[in-house]
Amino acid sequence: MSLPDFKLLRPRSLAEAVELLGKHVDVQIVAGGTDLIPSLKQRLFIPAYVIDIRRIAELRGIRVIPGQGTEIGALTTLTEIEHSDLIRRDYPVLQEAAKTVASPILRNMGTLGGNICLDTRCLWYNQSLTWRTSCGFCIKKDGDLCHVAPGGTKCWAVFSGDTPPALLCLDAELEIAGPAGTRRLALRDFYTNLGDARMKLARNEMVSRVFLPERTAGYRGVYRKLRLRGSIDYPLAGVAVALKRSNGHVEDARVAITAVNPAPLVVRGVEKEMVGKSVTEEIAAAVGELAARTAKPLTTSALTPEYRREMIRVFAKRAVLEAGTK
Amino acid sequence: MSDFSIIGKRIAMVDAAGKTTGAGKYTDDLTLPGMLIGKILHSPYPHARIKRIDASRALALEGVVAVVTGQDAPNKYGILPVGHDETALAVDRVRYVGDNVACVAAVDETTAEKALELIEVEYEPLPAYFDPEESMKAERDLIHENRPHNLEKDYHHVFGDPEKGFAEADCIRESRYIANEVTHAAMEPHSTLAAFELDPYSGALGRLTVWSSTQVPYYLQHKLSLVLEMPMSQIRVIKPLVGGGFGGKSEVIPLEIIAAVAARAAKAPVKITYTREEVFWAHRGRPRTIMDMKIGAKRDGRLTAVAARVVQDGGAYCSYGVVTILYSGALLGAIYDILNVRWDGYRVLTNKPACGAMRGHGTVNVRFAFESQLDEIAAEIALDPAEIRRINLLQPPCITVNNLRVTSYGLPECIEKVVERSGWRERRGKLPRGRGLGIGCSHYVSGAANSIIRSDMPHSTVNIKIDRDGGVVVYTGASEIGQGSDTMTAQIAAEVLGCTLQRVKIVAADTDLTPIDIGSYSSRVTFMAGNATLRAAEEVKKQIASAAARKMNCVPEDLVFRDDLVFKRGSSVSSVPSGVDSVVAGRVEGQILRGSLQQKRKEEVPKDWMTFEEAVVAAIDFHGALTGTGSYAPPPESRGGSFKGAGVGPSPSYSYSAQVADVSVDEETGEVTVHKVWAAHDCGRALNPVAVEGQIIGSVWMGLGQALEEEMVWKDGLLMNPGLLEYRSPSAVESPEIEPIIVESIDPEGPFGAKECSEGSLAATIPAIANAIYDAVGIRLREVPFTPERVLAAIRARDAAAKKLDLTEGVDPTAPTRFREHGGALWFRGKGPKRHELDPARRAEQLAGGDD
Amino acid sequence: MKKELVELKINGRRHELAIEPSKLLLDVLRQDLDLTGSKRGCDDSSCGACTVLVDGVPMMSCTLLAASCEGQEVTTVEGVAEHGALAAIQRAYGDWGGAQCGYCTPGFMMTVKALLAANPDPTEDEIRYALSGNLCRCTGYSQMYEAVRAAIQAEQKGREQGVGSRNPS
Repeated sequence: MSLPDFKLLRPRSLAEAVELLGKHVDVQIVAGGTDLIPSLKQRLFIPAYVIDIRRIAELRGIRVIPGQGTEIGALTTLTEIEHSDLIRRDYPVLQEAAKTVASPILRNMGTLGGNICLDTRCLWYNQSLTWRTSCGFCIKKDGDLCHVAPGGTKCWAVFSGDTPPALLCLDAELEIAGPAGTRRLALRDFYTNLGDARMKLARNEMVSRVFLPERTAGYRGVYRKLRLRGSIDYPLAGVAVALKRSNGHVEDARVAITAVNPAPLVVRGVEKEMVGKSVTEEIAAAVGELAARTAKPLTTSALTPEYRREMIRVFAKRAVLEAGTK
Repeated sequence: MSDFSIIGKRIAMVDAAGKTTGAGKYTDDLTLPGMLIGKILHSPYPHARIKRIDASRALALEGVVAVVTGQDAPNKYGILPVGHDETALAVDRVRYVGDNVACVAAVDETTAEKALELIEVEYEPLPAYFDPEESMKAERDLIHENRPHNLEKDYHHVFGDPEKGFAEADCIRESRYIANEVTHAAMEPHSTLAAFELDPYSGALGRLTVWSSTQVPYYLQHKLSLVLEMPMSQIRVIKPLVGGGFGGKSEVIPLEIIAAVAARAAKAPVKITYTREEVFWAHRGRPRTIMDMKIGAKRDGRLTAVAARVVQDGGAYCSYGVVTILYSGALLGAIYDILNVRWDGYRVLTNKPACGAMRGHGTVNVRFAFESQLDEIAAEIALDPAEIRRINLLQPPCITVNNLRVTSYGLPECIEKVVERSGWRERRGKLPRGRGLGIGCSHYVSGAANSIIRSDMPHSTVNIKIDRDGGVVVYTGASEIGQGSDTMTAQIAAEVLGCTLQRVKIVAADTDLTPIDIGSYSSRVTFMAGNATLRAAEEVKKQIASAAARKMNCVPEDLVFRDDLVFKRGSSVSSVPSGVDSVVAGRVEGQILRGSLQQKRKEEVPKDWMTFEEAVVAAIDFHGALTGTGSYAPPPESRGGSFKGAGVGPSPSYSYSAQVADVSVDEETGEVTVHKVWAAHDCGRALNPVAVEGQIIGSVWMGLGQALEEEMVWKDGLLMNPGLLEYRSPSAVESPEIEPIIVESIDPEGPFGAKECSEGSLAATIPAIANAIYDAVGIRLREVPFTPERVLAAIRARDAAAKKLDLTEGVDPTAPTRFREHGGALWFRGKGPKRHELDPARRAEQLAGGDD
Repeated sequence: MKKELVELKINGRRHELAIEPSKLLLDVLRQDLDLTGSKRGCDDSSCGACTVLVDGVPMMSCTLLAASCEGQEVTTVEGVAEHGALAAIQRAYGDWGGAQCGYCTPGFMMTVKALLAANPDPTEDEIRYALSGNLCRCTGYSQMYEAVRAAIQAEQKGREQGVGSRNPS
């Protein structure tokens, strides 16, 4: 399968990239390529321009900003995050999530920014042009009906990134660069929970950096991922838990889920359930119920929605227990 | 007689270096001057009449050389003589999503892909059939007009008296098992390069050469001849390296014919390589199988009868289907001593890609059902599952009730070995909750005793030529597909001739050069091509021996060929030089100083030994060119009975396997972890233990994939997972340790006693895992694969506390309340508007709004 | 689309190529440079048969635009052999049954090469983890672990004696 024709632009700096973004309309950004390139083969995108940002060195790497937290460049690979001592020590939930993404080779290529901006996925969407022709296309691309929820007008394609739920638990913020300079946005405000227009990013903007606040450094973290194969797979359900304990009691806690909604979502009500208490089976089970209630999986992916939702419950319970008691 | 110098040794594959360096060439690695790239247009409908095809816009595109459609090659073909129901490209009807409609040959891939978009096809959709049991009720809009009720074939076999057998049973189990569809997913996507010779004066088409990723070059040559209406002698098929087959390349795949048809139209070489999605459409994998199984047993564990109704969802074409369904009956009970058998088999057509032969052809799914049910019976009569299998062993040599001749039978030793190695007796029943051990057995043919095209022709023929410097060239039609057939051939030739392996060069699978061999399928190569090699080598050896004996003043029977030497039997060891030195000396002197070397030897009388090379020179001096031919045809007594369908199942010899799986089940998630599989396999004799172990491990591993992860998921004739991302072949992480245990029963007719080792093990793995899951958590799984949701559902059912999962509970109120299993029958309701971005109109509109 | 001039450094050699900007590295290797060792096994970046090293790091050449590799060192399976002789890992894969049909093998060669460069003495779990991005359909991976261990031993012995060991047993 070849790629559609496009012009390739290779900026060397963020400023140059932003300038190009402002100048051209029909554009896709490529970093690691692990999401975009297969989609180009399937003609999910036929951009006139592709901006290859791999050469922008300033967007690579992890550094501590004293008194504020940690900054991760959007082009930092998932392998770098997996092997970073700093991340392992201060933000273990992110390290756990990063090391479950796809496979080692794909993590060498895939970037944190790419994982955050991952296109939503659906069995009716991530298919070749020929295949999609035979199903009459779908609401997310080229068509006007949804095969997952027939009759509906909403796209339910599922967000399948592993690191965003971990980042949500850590109260991460994004730096977004655009023609007017950069702006900051809390990650939890970044996603729309719509399968098609999945994120609040203007056409001429790009995610440039991720900030992890100093406040959540040292939170215990666990990430649990449902997949059929031990490697390569996207999550079919994923749960991230981060919590802070003092004197055996939970001081702060957050749970976020992925791969069961069009966005990664923070589970509401977790703090109320957990803060001030020591983690018990009952509390963990209650959090599991909360997580399951937040999950609204549909037949976008392998396995049944019922099962995936059930696993959100089980995984959330187990992850809370592990983070809370280990 | 285990004193061999090359047989039984751990030897690297003779073609390994080409694979590890990347220097070896597979079909897609080949190019020819002026070569075009072919791309195929596939049907978007599962069942439709083609009303019109207009390729004029495609032909007008710069870089497009030819567009061919069904009319360009309308002759029907099929792998089985009874199943000629395919055409290279659809003539008037498409029968599955992905069926082949047209092919473009263009200067490059991009151009060809663009041209596909420009071909206009008008279809008239027809009602389609996706479920085999529904399809069997069809009265109209049949998939093939000459197959009433969409029934490709049904067979009904009764051996002994099943009714009496069940009446005598103390314990009867009856249940339905389902095995979902799986595919080979060989790493190499199919590829074919076809080129005609052109007469330089007239430009007329001459001979055709086809390089193809095939397990069956001679069948390909035959079908090409049929479709292209050319004599076989005008067609040369060459098999380069093949990146795995597992049955997926064991028949003629559409692209192989299409490439030739396109090359004929384009008058230029055309290469077609499938995308991974196209590989899934070409398919020919293991059909979804519905099995109603019934087994009866006495209280002491003796099986009194087995009955099975087997329905296979065969897809839109016959393929190997008739054989597949017959194997599900022939090998159903024949592994054990069961006197009463009833079997009803139905091969049904549906509007999906054709199923065909896949590793363990026809036997895998019924083995899962049978071995699982046998475990249920053992549990009911409180017998150790290993014991119930022992109680029902055959007493070979024997002939089973369905006329299969069993000459060697290592199953008892296989069971004994896995029981011992796995700690079955010590560990079973004492493992912590959630962990268990399970056993399963299987058997398989070492090639079919009756070939697809009935004739008296030997199934394999091998030629050997020996050059003056002792170089041995073996010409074999056997197809190396990664299973080690070239290495096996070289080993047998070298062992018989007593020369080093380095002397042997294999020329394989080139229809111009190599004598006919029916191909690499049904695990026939070692037994049949191996025997042919053995006989060819013995024939040449006889010529060498007679010449050497003359030089050594003895009778040929007194000579021993070994370690690159020919010496008199019983000659004192010290008088025979060590093999290594003589090779070196022979090579150097032989090349340059042959005359003087011979001169020198002449003076040394009497001789007790000669180097292999000297003996060869002596023979060539005497006979002229040194060649030999050997062939193999299965003996008449191995060819089975005479009832309808008796032709499938008989083999000159059968392999046997027993396996124990050690698994854990997470009762809260349903996730199954396989810790280890002990796999004992009776391969007759292990000609090369590294290769045999590799085949056993590979088979078990593929069975594990089918047991736990792999499944082709269909929604209304659409394959939802046509790629390696969503069709999950196990990764290194969850692949368990597999301990291969070689059992050698030394078959009386196999080459050096060898028989099958590449397929039989697969079938035991699935029931071994199913039975281990039962041992771990007490649930009986009757549908493969055992995905975590199926396991969890069974656990919940077991607990009866099955909290019903309510999907709508807590769901976003704006979300639709009804979810259907699949997209519904869109085919009859019209489709969404076709307005994807490659549509030129849309593209123009978009660019107009662009920035430059 | 118009071709553009791109300079690629592959297996230590510079190549100036005129290629479309949308061309994948795998296609450039196979079609423009006849380096057909790297294979295409899938179209969805899942199988790893096309793995090459980019600045020493295993990446999928089917998922990289050739033009974006400008300025980086690309190593393919053709660049693994040492002075024309099989590298230890190549020999070991042959001896221990690590390769059957061989189609995935070039990808594994690159992954193992990178693994051993980073971790000269990996545990079996580390090997499994490292190999988990390459799919093989023949071997069930087991014999590969033996091959990797044999290669490590051969390398060690080679360092001690100055030559590689030949036979498996």
